[in-house]
Amino acid sequence: MKRTLLSALLVLMLPLAACSPGSETASSPQDSVAQPFVTGAIPDQDPEKLQRLYSKLADYLEAELGVPVEYQPVTDYTAAVTAFRVGDLDMVWFGGLTGVQARLQVEGSEAIAQRDIDADFHSVFIANKNTGIAPLNDLNELTNLKGRTFTFGSESSTSGRLMPQYFLEQAGVSLEDFRGEVGFSQSHDATIQLVEAGTYEVGVLNEQVWKSRVEAGDIDLSKVDVIWRSPAYFDYHWVINPQVKERYGEDFVEQVQAALLKLDPNVPEQKEILELFGANQFIETENSNYQQIEDVGRAIGKIQ
Amino acid sequence: MDQPLSRPSPLNQRAIWGLVAFGAIALSLYQAGLFQRDWLNLGGLSQLGRFFQASVQPDLSPEFLRLTLNAIVVTLAYAVCGTCLSLLFGLVGGVLVSEVWWQSVFPRQAKQRSIWLTIRAGLAIPRAIHELIWGLFLINIFGLDPLVAIVAIAIPYGAIVAKVFSEILDETPRQPLMALLSSGVAPLTAFTYSLLPQAFLDLLSYSFYRFECSIRSAAVLGIIGAGGLGYQILLSLQSLRYEQLWTLFYALFVLNGTVDLTSAVLRHRLGSPSRLDLNLRRDNRSKSQKLEELRDGYSTSSDGQESHPTQNAADQVSMLKQQRQPRDRGVMVAGLGAVLLIPFCFWYVSADFSKLWSPRTMQLLADITQSSLPPNFDGEQLPQLLALSWQTLAMSILAIAAAGIGGILLSFPAAHNFFLPGGLLNPTQSSRLGCLLAWGMLLLTRSVLLIARAVPAPIWALVALFVLFPGILPGAIALGLHNLGILGRLMAEVAENLDQRPLLALKAQGTPASLVFLYGVLPTTMTRFLAYILYRWEVCMRETVIVGLVGAGGLGRLLTEQLSSFDYSSVIVTLSSFVVLTFIVDWVSGRMRRSLR
Repeated sequence: MKRTLLSALLVLMLPLAACSPGSETASSPQDSVAQPFVTGAIPDQDPEKLQRLYSKLADYLEAELGVPVEYQPVTDYTAAVTAFRVGDLDMVWFGGLTGVQARLQVEGSEAIAQRDIDADFHSVFIANKNTGIAPLNDLNELTNLKGRTFTFGSESSTSGRLMPQYFLEQAGVSLEDFRGEVGFSQSHDATIQLVEAGTYEVGVLNEQVWKSRVEAGDIDLSKVDVIWRSPAYFDYHWVINPQVKERYGEDFVEQVQAALLKLDPNVPEQKEILELFGANQFIETENSNYQQIEDVGRAIGKIQ
Repeated sequence: MDQPLSRPSPLNQRAIWGLVAFGAIALSLYQAGLFQRDWLNLGGLSQLGRFFQASVQPDLSPEFLRLTLNAIVVTLAYAVCGTCLSLLFGLVGGVLVSEVWWQSVFPRQAKQRSIWLTIRAGLAIPRAIHELIWGLFLINIFGLDPLVAIVAIAIPYGAIVAKVFSEILDETPRQPLMALLSSGVAPLTAFTYSLLPQAFLDLLSYSFYRFECSIRSAAVLGIIGAGGLGYQILLSLQSLRYEQLWTLFYALFVLNGTVDLTSAVLRHRLGSPSRLDLNLRRDNRSKSQKLEELRDGYSTSSDGQESHPTQNAADQVSMLKQQRQPRDRGVMVAGLGAVLLIPFCFWYVSADFSKLWSPRTMQLLADITQSSLPPNFDGEQLPQLLALSWQTLAMSILAIAAAGIGGILLSFPAAHNFFLPGGLLNPTQSSRLGCLLAWGMLLLTRSVLLIARAVPAPIWALVALFVLFPGILPGAIALGLHNLGILGRLMAEVAENLDQRPLLALKAQGTPASLVFLYGVLPTTMTRFLAYILYRWEVCMRETVIVGLVGAGGLGRLLTEQLSSFDYSSVIVTLSSFVVLTFIVDWVSGRMRRSLR
């Protein structure tokens, strides 16, 4: 008995040895022309839908670009930025802050496209009705929130953390002015739920998510409502790594950009892709659009 | 007072540690703000209701079921690969850090002892860091590759396995080894032919337990990058799709339940019915003392358990001999299954092992080392770090206290030898109704334990946050719930493997069930329960990292913030604090366990 098990155990170790040379041989042809163009995304809204149906965009790009396109699922902002830095993701759908973080870590990378709504993006501050906080008329009234409990979304979120923190600081509200520690609910939907539950009195999130949840009737507006809409800023965008030029040709970046911009809401299949991103259309963008995000990121310490 | 018998002083070591424990719990409760402010938020009951309501209407669309099924296979494959690697690390590491190895290789050199102790303490570093953080770090050097998830599981688990294996080896009777060594056999050969086969069953049953843990771990590693239950749970959690979440939870129940059951059956067949066996000995015998005690033929009347270890070892040797003859078909099938399953999993995951030593990895490793050095530390941070460390510690203490108490309460109804007909606490004549009730309770508590441990802690944190105000408390409750499931099951196993004879004797004399419980069951199980609770404490502390959303994550919160800012020179400092905390927890729990002997 014992001997059987021991020998079994030894056999188990074999694949360890067998695996490595096998995968080495597998990786060498990959270095040739057929290396796929790898894209990834960490969507903020309905990630479960977008991530699981993402193959549609990959298929579209593959047809347009004539190179194999692969989709790598990533759920974590930090992981996506890191993967982009080490070169395992060639093009990523980043949020405002994460896009800047990624570009700063990869020299020559470019922001190439964003949704029509991303050039005019807003956050909404929401409050539990029991708190009796009246809607704010302007930025300076954010001081009314002092002494309340407050939650952001995810640490790296532009609309759920970075810009709201910036606006708060502009109004002279520091994170210490809130009661207790500021929360990080990790997602926009969790923010809504936690403020509706009253766990936190005030929260802040992406306006787009708020609107779509209100439309869907998921929110009890007698318990929670918007108290302030932030000024506009730039948010989500596609960032591409310059190494693709070496791999597929000098004009590859332009090709990708053209393919994204060409997505047409009148073609049913392409409309589906656009809907997944919550976009009517993709529009052109450039690195300089994100200077404000970069400045705020540095001021707040999210960019070192 | 003129007493014929001298009573031991009430202020013995045990009592002191007990007081320390109560003090720590009270302080932690104070830190949680339990006495100063509202902590219950009834406004969130409807959210809580919505979460649990979804449990009866999981998403059963064919599309989602297919996705779930696929995710199960992925998770299983990752867990298998992670376990294999961690066992490999653990076996090599375990031999290398065992006291007996050092004594065999360098006999009679006191200087080596300090080196040995340092190496052994060094194992706390990989253990102190949560799998998720390892994952984030490994992406930096391996990029997006299945290897990341496997190694992220293998590093901390490998260190834990090495620690446990080395303790098992140290506690295995050494006479055969000594005989081989003194006849001039080389240490490695001597180990292979004496100690390793002797300890084989213990090592194997612990390995099963590790596999169960790996499955749970694979379920929180959403960054796997290739799907899997953890990934799907993260996605559905982000937009709070409760129906989908519950489908995935059910998948986790099935996966966890099946693995636990298979492992229990196999271990039983192999004659090593509990993972706890080894812990009993580990906890009850301090390494160096034990052998001397054995040699002296010690007889301590105060602590009846002390005689267990030798007896157990002897039992096992005889059991091994007995098992030689009849080959158990079930075990053969399982062995064959494992032989097929493991290569399949490695093939399925298809991690690129060449990345372990590729030039790119080295380059990236150099990059990240460069960006994390020098550590960004100055005296000013110290107060903040101390405050956060205390927060982390307080959360882990509350969590483990909750898990321990809950686990003890649930373990008895979950064990099959207490309330079932013929059980220790069951009157001999029981009605059919009572029988049904007992079975119902058994199934209920076991399912509660399964649910508690299968649902990942971050989910419990969100759920707790619906009805509690932010702070340490919801985090502690989330971690407590998750660990309760694990502890309760381990404790039920202790209870089932109790020495039944004294209890049966009590029962046969007509002692009421309550007295059997108080004077028979509790004294024999409690020390082992406490040992397990202390052992699990360290895990709770590491896991505070993943419940940061409760708004008082202590060091964990700080760490996620620094990681998402790519501020690696500060990350190093925070991680060091974690390592220091782990050292402290390790030391305290070691001392407390020793006082329990």
